[in-house]
Amino acid sequence: MAENANKLTDRIHYILPYLPGVLTIVIALPVWFAAGPILGILAGVLGMGCTLTCHRILVRVREISDQKACLDAQLIQSQKLAAIGELSSGIAHEINNPLAIIGQEVQWIRHIVDKAAIGSEHHAELDESVTEIGKQVKRCAEITHKLLDFARKRDPLIQGCDVNRLIEDMVRLVERETAQKNIAIVRNYHEGLPELYTDHPLLRQVILNLLNNATYAIDKDGTITVKTLRKGQDALEILITDTGCGITSENIRKVFNPFFTTKPPGKGTGLGLSLCHSIIHKLGGDIRVESEPGKGATFIIRLPMNYAEGENLI
Amino acid sequence: MENFRVLIVDDELDFLETILIRLQRRNVDAVGVSSGKMAIEMIEREHFDVAILDVRMPGIDGFETLREIKKRRPFMEVIMLTGHGSVESGIQGMQMGAFDYVLKPVKIDDLLDRVRKAFERKAIHEKKSGR
Repeated sequence: MAENANKLTDRIHYILPYLPGVLTIVIALPVWFAAGPILGILAGVLGMGCTLTCHRILVRVREISDQKACLDAQLIQSQKLAAIGELSSGIAHEINNPLAIIGQEVQWIRHIVDKAAIGSEHHAELDESVTEIGKQVKRCAEITHKLLDFARKRDPLIQGCDVNRLIEDMVRLVERETAQKNIAIVRNYHEGLPELYTDHPLLRQVILNLLNNATYAIDKDGTITVKTLRKGQDALEILITDTGCGITSENIRKVFNPFFTTKPPGKGTGLGLSLCHSIIHKLGGDIRVESEPGKGATFIIRLPMNYAEGENLI
Repeated sequence: MENFRVLIVDDELDFLETILIRLQRRNVDAVGVSSGKMAIEMIEREHFDVAILDVRMPGIDGFETLREIKKRRPFMEVIMLTGHGSVESGIQGMQMGAFDYVLKPVKIDDLLDRVRKAFERKAIHEKKSGR
C-alpha cells in the first residue's frame, strides 16, 4: 500500500510541473474563439514554451541528482576506506608488541629445548614445532609491517613530471617478467603531454602495482595496454588494460577495500589496490575500474593538471 | 659545479669507479663507497643530498641501507639502482621511500637527470618543513 502511495506521489510530482504549460496550451483554443487568433496563438506559443523549458529544467535536475548520488557513493567509499585503514593500522600497532614478545620467547624456548631435550625422543618434534611457531610469527610480523607502511601518512611532495617517461620506466621493469610469460605490453602514450605536477615516487608505486596486478590477472599469453590521454584542460588519464581473467560484478565493488584479495592465502595481503586508491586520492585524482569477467579489466586513473610545484593538495 | 652532493654505493668497484669519474666530469660533487655499512658511516660524517644505492650488496643490502639512511637523514633522497630488478623489489623500494628505481645499465645523463629531480624534491621537502 505504502509503496503504491509513494509511486502515486512520485507520478504526481513528475506531472505537476508540466501542468501550467499544458493548461495554457489547452485554453489557447477557447481564447482563440473568445478573443481572436492573435491572443490564441500567443497563448499556444506561451504554453509550448513553458512546457519545453519546464521539461529541460527537469531533465537537468535529474542529471544533477544522478551526479550527486554518484559523488555521494564515492565519498562514502573513500571515507569507508580511510576508516578501515585507520582501524587496521591501529590493530597492527597493537599486535606488533605482543608479536615481538612471542618471537623472543620462541628463541628462548629453542635455547631451552636444545639444552634440556637433546637425546630425548621428543626433541625432533619439539624442534619442528618451535620452528613452525617462529615461521608463523615472522609471517604475522610481515603483515603488520605492510599494514603500518600502508597507513603511514606520507604527504605528497609535488614537482614537475614527464608522466609518459615515468610510466615507461615502470613498464620496462615489468616487461622483464612479462616477456617470459608471453605477455605483450602495448604503449599508447599521448605525445606532447604538458608536465604534470605530482609526487613521483607515489605515482610510480601506483603504476607498478597496477602493472603487477595486470600481469597476475593474465598469468600467461595476453596483452597489457598502457595508455595516457588528456582530459580537457585540467586533467589527464592513465589507462592500464589487461586481457586477463577480469573481475566479477560481485567483486568489482570490493577491489579497493583493504584485505580484499582473490589470490591464494599467503600470496597477497590485499593491500595493493587500496594503497593505490589512497595515493591517487592524496594526489587529488581518482581511480576506477571497468571489467567484463573473462575478458580483462581496465584501471583508469584521472589526475588533475592544475597544481603548482610544492603546493599542498590537501 | 652542480649544487648538490651525491653518494654512490655499489660493491662492484669497476662500476663505482666509472660512474664516479663520469659524474665528476660533469661537475657533480660525488663520493663513492663500496658497502652499505660504509654508506651509513659516511652519511653520519658528511652531508649528502642524494644517494644512489645498489640493491644487491653483500652484508647490509640496498634496502636495509635505504632504511638506515631514511632513519638518520629523512630529507635525503635515495635512488635505487639494480642489475637484477624485479617488480616485487621495485614495489618494496618505492614503499620504503626510495625516490626512483632504475635498471642498469643506465646512461649517465639519464641518471644525472634523475639525481637532479631527486635533489629538487629534497629542496621542496625542506622548504615545506620550514628548514
